[in-house]
Amino acid sequence: MKGLKGLLEENPSLKVFIYAGKGGLGKTTLSAATSIKLSSMGRRTLVFSTDPQASLSDVFEQNVFGKGEVKLAENLYVMEIDADKKINEYVNAIKKKIIDMYKLDSLPKDIEEYIDSAAAEPAMYESAVYDAMVDVVSEGKYDYYVFDMPPFGHGIRMIAIADVISKWVEKITELRRQAYEYGRVAASLKRQKLTYEDEILNELEYIRGRILKFRDILLNTKTTAFMMVMTPERMTILDTERALEMFNSLGLKLTGIVVNQVYPPDLAKRADAPAYLRRRVEEQKKYIAEIVEKFGKYIVSVVPMLNREPKGIQTLKPVAEELWSPSKKIEEYL
Amino acid sequence: MGILDRIREVVEGLTVHGQSTAILKVKAQIDNLFMIITVGDMLGVPILPPYYSLRLLPYVFPNIQNWKRYMLRERDFTDLVT
Repeated sequence: MKGLKGLLEENPSLKVFIYAGKGGLGKTTLSAATSIKLSSMGRRTLVFSTDPQASLSDVFEQNVFGKGEVKLAENLYVMEIDADKKINEYVNAIKKKIIDMYKLDSLPKDIEEYIDSAAAEPAMYESAVYDAMVDVVSEGKYDYYVFDMPPFGHGIRMIAIADVISKWVEKITELRRQAYEYGRVAASLKRQKLTYEDEILNELEYIRGRILKFRDILLNTKTTAFMMVMTPERMTILDTERALEMFNSLGLKLTGIVVNQVYPPDLAKRADAPAYLRRRVEEQKKYIAEIVEKFGKYIVSVVPMLNREPKGIQTLKPVAEELWSPSKKIEEYL
Repeated sequence: MGILDRIREVVEGLTVHGQSTAILKVKAQIDNLFMIITVGDMLGVPILPPYYSLRLLPYVFPNIQNWKRYMLRERDFTDLVT
């Protein structure tokens, strides 16, 4: 197995590591471990998460939720987005903008309801998260970015529709220019002034830029390693197969798979090993064999289960090393 | 209103009024299309992700009431004639 080290040697221009997969497999732990390793090599690294449930705050044992970029160690920065708060601020800013622009006392009821219902949409949450992702990557302050993705919902389909949307936005922009021309002529005939046309065109350009940038971050295999996390279990294998199908349909290329939470097989070989453990390791072998058969070329590292919860920078270091350059061959797990 | 303004309006009415009305009509149609694409989800036509279309809302705000009325207006065959 080549480990993350091998990935970076094959492709030194990698900047972004994305960990995806269903909940509870250890995406957050592996994201944290990756960032610990990268930062320990003297590169400025940001690890980014959005999910308040399986959170980096827990892994690093420090509350960083909604606090912006927090420095944890030399070169190691963490950012945990409070998406609800971000949406709230965003929506309030828009409401305030309308009230200020038109000098209203309050918003008309139907507009207020419209904004609130748009804000409550599930896709809104993901959009806000992805938008924050685009923010930090565009800023370019770091050498490496590690993203702990939330389990996918509708929002990920933004990749698939990014092209469509960007074409739409082009069309709208064209439409706006036409309207602007007509409006300008009519206004000059009547000697009136046009309002806000430039702002609308700027906003449209901005929206298109954001959507394309998001797609680029996820799809550009030169700069992004898109990683899936698996565990040696029936359900994860099925789930990963389905996820791969979805990625294919979205044009997303999987870079690698990390097999996490694996019992060290040597334990079962010892004479005093309890039957319980032997049974587990036996079952695990079967599933690892299946993983190798189905996703063999993707496997980057196998990360063993620790004897305690992987929390805190010190505890995560061995995980990071194993992820970076695996000490065993995949055959040793079979 | 000053006498000059009056004269200006009369001249306007004689010369360019029809022209500018026609132009504004075309603009209104384009604006309607624009509204459908950007805030169409207000009437159940979602095209842009709401996270982004909300950014445009402040600018189209003054047109919303008229636009909704226009879109939701009942139509009959006499519309085809006009």
